[in-house]
Amino acid sequence: MGTLLFEWNYSSYPGAEKYPHLFKPIQVGKLTIPNRIKYAATEDNLNGKDGFVTDAGVAYLRERAKGVVGGLCVMQGVYMDEKRQGQGYVGQAAAWDDKFIPGLKRLADAIHEQKAVAGCQLMHCGRVGAIETEYCQGPSPVPQRLRIFRPVQEMTKADIKQCIKEHLDATERLLKAGFDYLEISGIVGYLLSNFVSSYTNRRTDEYGGDIRGRMRFVVELVKEVKKLCGDVPVGIRLCADELLDDVGGNTPEESMITYEMSEEAGVDVMSVTAGWQESIYPVISRDIPMGSWLHLAERAKQHLTIPVSMAYRLFTPDLPNKAIGEGKLDIWEMCRPMIADPLMPKKVLEGREGEIRPCVACNVCLARLFRDAPMTCYINPVCAHEWDPKYEIKPAETSKIVMIVGAGPAGLECAWVAAERGHEVHVYDKREEMGGTIIEASKAPYGDDELYGQIRFARTMCEKNGVEFHLGTEVTPELIEEEMPDSVVLATGPKYSKGAAPGFDRENVVSVLDVLNGEVQVGDNVVVWGNMKPGIGVALFLAKQGKRVTIVGRESKLGKDVNPSFLWRYVGYLRQNKVTAYNDCDIEEISDEGVTVVTYDGYRIPVKADTVVVTEREANPALKDVVQENSIELFVIGDALVPRNLSSAVHDGYRIGIRI
Amino acid sequence: MAVDPEKEISSLWRALQGSQGATRRTFYQMRRALLEIAGPDANPLDVGVRAWEIVGKDTGKSYLPRMNLLKGIEGLMASVARAYQGLATTNGALVKIDKGENPKELFITWERCPWPTSAKEHGASMKEDLQGCDTYLQAFLDEVNAFLGTNLKIETHKAIPRGDGVCVRRLYNPEDK
Repeated sequence: MGTLLFEWNYSSYPGAEKYPHLFKPIQVGKLTIPNRIKYAATEDNLNGKDGFVTDAGVAYLRERAKGVVGGLCVMQGVYMDEKRQGQGYVGQAAAWDDKFIPGLKRLADAIHEQKAVAGCQLMHCGRVGAIETEYCQGPSPVPQRLRIFRPVQEMTKADIKQCIKEHLDATERLLKAGFDYLEISGIVGYLLSNFVSSYTNRRTDEYGGDIRGRMRFVVELVKEVKKLCGDVPVGIRLCADELLDDVGGNTPEESMITYEMSEEAGVDVMSVTAGWQESIYPVISRDIPMGSWLHLAERAKQHLTIPVSMAYRLFTPDLPNKAIGEGKLDIWEMCRPMIADPLMPKKVLEGREGEIRPCVACNVCLARLFRDAPMTCYINPVCAHEWDPKYEIKPAETSKIVMIVGAGPAGLECAWVAAERGHEVHVYDKREEMGGTIIEASKAPYGDDELYGQIRFARTMCEKNGVEFHLGTEVTPELIEEEMPDSVVLATGPKYSKGAAPGFDRENVVSVLDVLNGEVQVGDNVVVWGNMKPGIGVALFLAKQGKRVTIVGRESKLGKDVNPSFLWRYVGYLRQNKVTAYNDCDIEEISDEGVTVVTYDGYRIPVKADTVVVTEREANPALKDVVQENSIELFVIGDALVPRNLSSAVHDGYRIGIRI
Repeated sequence: MAVDPEKEISSLWRALQGSQGATRRTFYQMRRALLEIAGPDANPLDVGVRAWEIVGKDTGKSYLPRMNLLKGIEGLMASVARAYQGLATTNGALVKIDKGENPKELFITWERCPWPTSAKEHGASMKEDLQGCDTYLQAFLDEVNAFLGTNLKIETHKAIPRGDGVCVRRLYNPEDK
């Protein structure tokens, strides 16, 4: 066996028994890693705009290092050139000068403090880089499919040599900072992938041509980095399938040649990835079933002798455990599951799987990065605030009796946080089941069932913290006056608003909740009133049953409450299911023939409809007055305050939970 | 439903034509502003053609997400031709696409186009109108070619500004000429 940096003994933990393959050591180069878990390098935009590491970045990574329980924790990729052409994110860490070493060392130290293996990554962003400059670099001046990127300048041979030198200089700095593992990123459209791909490399010199020519840059780079690294293992991230067949990208066979050549050049571990930012196919969103990409890891294993790791929709431990056991994978990588819950693998090890806050694969984390905003998470309110004591769950100064009205995502989140702080928390809901509107929302197609995971998590946390449930109990003014709690949190969800137009009182106007629960008959021609996420969800639910669906909504754009990195999936599915949408429109009348839609500028469109499904929502002020009249501390959260989305409900719940 | 379809459609049609006219007027008003700022030494032909090159390149860029080789070079040519057709139609032209004898050539015919008339109204030469349009279509195509590594060409056979009554352009792949 190779060098073992920290001793770990997992034998007494239930997770090691349940998932034996995840908690076995593995040798990577001359280093032995105690388990098969890796937090994969993820940009977070938490560094200074000058590339210096910040307290926020260190705290963020420290939590993830704690989570890997002795495994590999890799910091985000660094850019390596003073001109910043390799920089792809405003808050990306830099390593182009020795002045960055102290900050990088803070990251390595933070990982080591948790007895984890400290990894770092070199990441020149190539054709998706140059975020602060006018031109980006690439092997050939091929324009990007997306307009947001800078024009590409073809690299000269001198540029290539300089670029390799910058990689080597940065490697030296990262080694001085104390990292134990070094990775080179060649994925999703970054520089190495640009050289490798037939789509973006059209050079006729020795750095272009066939796949061996296109790999020359990678091979030269790996060999030089290996020489510098000595006993420190070197990994690489490369695409097993670029998913660029529509623009003449590499074949899967060519991708396997890149893997074999990387191993020949000396890499010690291969991180398998799929797709580019410019791919037209979805890869990691919720509509892609978990485990869909494991066949790529299996294929890589057939071509390599070095260990193979992979992330990409492996959100639950059973999948990688089985794959490792079957010899299809060696190391389980994670980004988003550990953004949502940094301690995810630790909880797996400790047999606390119910306490894992599950990622809902919405990609808001990525959407934020691409829009120059700091990392955030849809369902983890603490993400990127790990440094901030205001976000900590601290014991309450005075224990209170808290009545929470509504067992939806906002109410449950607030309940467990408040209970963990020492309050006596009672959750009421008129329904017998927990979950609020997520019960219905999770019945929509294309992976929305995963949304319910948030309810399972919150329920477990409530039970753990002694929250008392009063399900099937409608809270009335009399009940509040009888109980007289110290605080009331109204998390009652929204009111569904029918609109004022003639016809909204007809029998064929039904609630979205009743439709998704199958409690009403729906005709063949349906108008969905409301063009936000609830409208999209029910429209797809009905269209997949063969109904002709038209969405009508007042918002100027469809799905305003859905983040852009996921909205394109819904737009594609609506088109595929032939759903029409009239945005920036109102309903003027509902009659026997259907619905008269009126555009914002007064044009009228007749739409046939047997059924109108109401998804428009408004705030729900019920019970507010009675609470205030009795001088009880009052909080209104989630859709009851302002109808928004699951994320806002959870974040509201957490923020009030730590304040009560 | 109390909707008068004739009234709705005629109102929308008038609005569309008004918008098309405004687009053309705005182009020539911007051109005039440029010429006034540039002074008497500026060549109106150069200004007009350069403007169309910028429009063509930027429009081509915006169409890249819809361009691909999934249906081979013929599929790509059809996509480009349809893009030209859609853009021209939006601007008030009437355009048809015909297959040529060679399966890898398409003929695009502008049976009517409001741009030469607008050019005359704003004092631009027919030479500028034709050269501007050719440059616009070529710049669009250059962007697609750079993106996909193809070598599609377009050539003008007939032109309304030359008095031919229609514009006919041939879109082809020279490797299959």
